[in-house]
Amino acid sequence: MPKILVADDSETIRTLLRTALGRAGYEVDTASDGPTAHSMAKEGDFDLIILDQLMPGLLGLDVISQLREDGVAAPVLMLTGVDDGTTAAESLDRGAVDYIRKPFDMNELLARIKSRL
Amino acid sequence: MVDIRIAEIGTFVIYVIDVVLLLALVGIKTVHRRRVHSHDRRRQEYLGMLSRHVSYADCTDPITPRMAEDPAFLDALIDVREVLSGHELGNLEEIVARHGVSARLTRYLASRLPLGRRLRAAVALAEIGDKSAAPAMVLHLSDREPDVRIECARGLARLRWTPAIDDIVARFAIEDTTVRARFADSLIGFGTSATWPLLAYVRVNHRSEDAGPALALRTVGRIRELAAAGAIHEVLAESPSLEVTIAAIEALGDIASPESTRRLQSLLADERWQVRAKSATALGKLEDGSSIPILSEAIRDANFWVRRNSAAALARLPDGKLALYRALDGDDVYAADAAAEALADSGELVAARRRVDEGISVVEPLLAHMESGD
Repeated sequence: MPKILVADDSETIRTLLRTALGRAGYEVDTASDGPTAHSMAKEGDFDLIILDQLMPGLLGLDVISQLREDGVAAPVLMLTGVDDGTTAAESLDRGAVDYIRKPFDMNELLARIKSRL
Repeated sequence: MVDIRIAEIGTFVIYVIDVVLLLALVGIKTVHRRRVHSHDRRRQEYLGMLSRHVSYADCTDPITPRMAEDPAFLDALIDVREVLSGHELGNLEEIVARHGVSARLTRYLASRLPLGRRLRAAVALAEIGDKSAAPAMVLHLSDREPDVRIECARGLARLRWTPAIDDIVARFAIEDTTVRARFADSLIGFGTSATWPLLAYVRVNHRSEDAGPALALRTVGRIRELAAAGAIHEVLAESPSLEVTIAAIEALGDIASPESTRRLQSLLADERWQVRAKSATALGKLEDGSSIPILSEAIRDANFWVRRNSAAALARLPDGKLALYRALDGDDVYAADAAAEALADSGELVAARRRVDEGISVVEPLLAHMESGD
């Protein structure tokens, strides 16, 4: 069963994704801040990481950079309410494989996850 | 002796009152903390339940009428609605409809409950986005409480319930400044559908009042429908009011229709300095190079604000900075000040100052540079 980490400071997003991804057959862990996301992603052997940009402690972009420095190669999908082209471009530059804006369509998110696993 | 005893008893009574008040305060804080904690816990449970309803079409978790009345349930519902788009939103709307959430909130709105409760119902209705609640929200645009009226207008805009536009615009004439401003924000949410009702309101009222038509014009400007420019030109030609005229000019600047260029250029000759200053700013927003000669004249205007706005407008225009460098070189010190400020704002003061300090003609090298196309 593919393992996914959902890192978002919004409890609503974490609960929704845990339920919907669980329903779609994935094993889901969650983190509510940047440093926790980084340490879980580093040690957890995840098949995919879903990251928010604006998290307490560490921004999503910085989590990606640190993970790449640590040699973590799991694909990262940014799911964020930040609606500017710069953040999207920068996250892809730093190694994210996809970028989805909130509010999001769950079916689209599931399809994008499926295409990466 | 008796006096001392009375003083002691008085001190003791004050001490007892202090202790009672302190205990009451601690009690109130404890109850409040428990209520918040209980609300958060229930909201968390509802989030889980709504997530299951959204994710599983066959979810059988019951949503009871009591739950649907719980503020924590409404908070969870609004939170989930905020982050989702697509067909899951339809699932949520079905939950809202099936459990009569909107009908219940509408009843609260119409009740004699305290403002806090009614306002919460209005906010929830605005956020939930259930079209069946639109007629009730239209009705409460004339609610006795301003905050409820504001929330209803916001909710109608979120729903894009266009039949409500006329009702919201009609309130412009009677609302106070704060409510009217919030109504204007809501009207922007309707997009171009609100343009013509707002302009109709302006046409009917601009001779008899200032503030409402002025705000309506600024709202039209923020909606930015190009086709509105012609109607605003007519208002400009007819309005005797300075406030309305200024708002019309600002709207033309925001809309930035090319057909407004000549009209705004002609207003740079208006006898009212406020009109000249606003027209200069609007011309800058239009970014039409044909305004450079007339704005170059306007940076020599007798009024500080006209000079300042004209210089700022020139800084926005393609090739307009050349006119500013010319003004820096010129013998009109007021125009040179305005030009220096505009160049500084656009990050060019250092270059301009250096050229002047070195005694180099600013214009010639710049012309050569532009002609070379580097």
